[in-house]
Amino acid sequence: MDRLLRQAAGLGGAALGKLQHTRIPGVGQASTTEPADVAARRWRAVTVFRDDLAGPFPELEALGPDLEVRMQPAAGGRGTELYGRFHGTPDADRIGELRAALRRTKQLAEVGEVLRVDPATHGTRRPTPQGAALEGAAARAPREGVL
Amino acid sequence: MKAAIWAGVDEVTVEDVPEPQLLNDHDVLLRIHKTVTCGSDLHLIGGYIPAMRSGDVLGHEFLGTVVEKGRAVQRVQVGDRVVVPSFVACGSCWYCSQELYSLCDNGNPDPGITEGLWGQSPGGCFGYSHAMGGYAGSHAEYMRVPYADVGCFVVPDGVSDTRALFASDSVTTGWTGAHLGGTQPGDVVAVWGAGAVGQMAARAAMLLGAEQVVVIDRLPERLAQVRTHIGAEAVDFSTTDVVAELRERTGGRGPDVCIEAVGMEAHSTGVQGAFDQVKQQLRLQTDRPSAVREAIRACRKGGSVFVLGVYAGMVDKFPLGALMNKGLTVRGAQQHGQRYVPEILAHMESGALTTEHLATHTMPLSQAAEGYRIFKAKEDGCVRTVFEPGS
Ligand SMILES: NC(=O)c1ccc[n+]([C@@H]2O[C@H](COP(=O)([O-])OP(=O)(O)OC[C@H]3O[C@@H](n4cnc5c(N)ncnc54)[C@H](O)[C@@H]3O)[C@@H](O)[C@H]2O)c1
Ligand SMILES: [Zn+2]
Ligand SMILES: [Zn+2]
Repeated sequence: MDRLLRQAAGLGGAALGKLQHTRIPGVGQASTTEPADVAARRWRAVTVFRDDLAGPFPELEALGPDLEVRMQPAAGGRGTELYGRFHGTPDADRIGELRAALRRTKQLAEVGEVLRVDPATHGTRRPTPQGAALEGAAARAPREGVL
Repeated sequence: MKAAIWAGVDEVTVEDVPEPQLLNDHDVLLRIHKTVTCGSDLHLIGGYIPAMRSGDVLGHEFLGTVVEKGRAVQRVQVGDRVVVPSFVACGSCWYCSQELYSLCDNGNPDPGITEGLWGQSPGGCFGYSHAMGGYAGSHAEYMRVPYADVGCFVVPDGVSDTRALFASDSVTTGWTGAHLGGTQPGDVVAVWGAGAVGQMAARAAMLLGAEQVVVIDRLPERLAQVRTHIGAEAVDFSTTDVVAELRERTGGRGPDVCIEAVGMEAHSTGVQGAFDQVKQQLRLQTDRPSAVREAIRACRKGGSVFVLGVYAGMVDKFPLGALMNKGLTVRGAQQHGQRYVPEILAHMESGALTTEHLATHTMPLSQAAEGYRIFKAKEDGCVRTVFEPGS
């Protein structure tokens, strides 16, 4: 019965993911509906709440000459849209680096520093598979998401 | 130092943990005087929000004194007695400029998890799992608070610790619902849930000018608090048809504003209740939404429903037809505390807003497990357990 329940729960989760375009963190960040290479070639963007945003952007430059960067004013006075895209078809790791770099660039421009959370105070971490998976997901989180 | 941590599903323990340190220039460290249990913790402790890691420090409603500050902190001084909203907000992004602080773009260092789940990432919250930033919570002797100039509010001398404490979460959350739910002078407002959040939503609605406020719950001691401390009407959902009762109390119209302050573990009876429980256990729906359904049904045409209760994922049997055809506005939010704390502290100082009755139980932090057990079981009339790390 227990196994049956667990299987049903797994299936339920998968079905929901498909229906709602939910992405389970760490289980692949490609779009749930478009081919991975199409998704990989999209521009990734953050909107920075500053009208006078200007480079240089060391976080983006560090990603190498393959990265194309552009900016444009955001609609409705919401600041400046900052875009990045690699030439060719980058793999998931490269896109992850770009996401993290865009987020850091935005924070540096908006608040002047990148927010840290580690080392966070905590008690005994029990070595459970679920806990390890979560730690992995948290470690990857700055590079993941839909950006 | 001592801290109360989540050790696994339904397991809270107190351990020795390292003291926090300043990590960013905008940080302060607080010595915690009082820190409280919240209904949201129950969702975390019960494993309904899967992004908890054993060892995580709980707690997000608290009051303390600043003991150390980062180089960039200007407004807050060492020695200040401060209350801090649960959500971490930078004060500089577009969302903060719109006073939607819990949506801050720069409050969650781990945005990937919630972006994947919800399409966008809200801000971060203390002691609230790795989906919300993985910050250590307030159930500890010391705590780190980022963006201190935005999040720390000095408590006026005339306001006691116990009263001010609830400006951190319960009152700010209630205020968010009553205000963004669009409460106007003369409105009839109904609130589902008479926990600290629901009671404070009711009080906020009254202070915003509502003429009639009705609170719905089943726990007699909470309904009694609603009558005596809040001054609102109380309805017991376990013995009453809530929708019929509200219709009768409002001349057949239904409430103008319906605020749901129950959350994903709502109680319900009969077939609906059994259906929701089974589906939640099978992970076919993650949340039990019975109070939201009832609010949508009860609300007057063209009225507004505000979801304050916490939900994490999917719900089933959502009355979309009623929502659309009745022309309802449905809105939800985590609390935008930084927007409301100054106004709340002013009402606390004038005496228009009192919260001491919420602190039904006070104990040293070493008894955190017992404090949560009583709170979860709603035993002995418990509404909130207050822990004092210093005692
Ligand atoms: N939006 C936010 O920022 C925010 C902040 C704090 C808490 N919350 C959420 O608000 C909710 C309430 O918090 P709390 O601390 O008051 O919790 P609580 O557990 O103390 O109170 C919840 C109350 O709801 C009542 N209830 C259960 N089912 C009901 C139903 N069908 N109809 C009416 N009442 C019902 C319970 O009897 C209980 O009194 C929780 O979901 C919590 O996670 C949200
Ligand atoms: Zn809370
Ligand atoms: Zn912000």
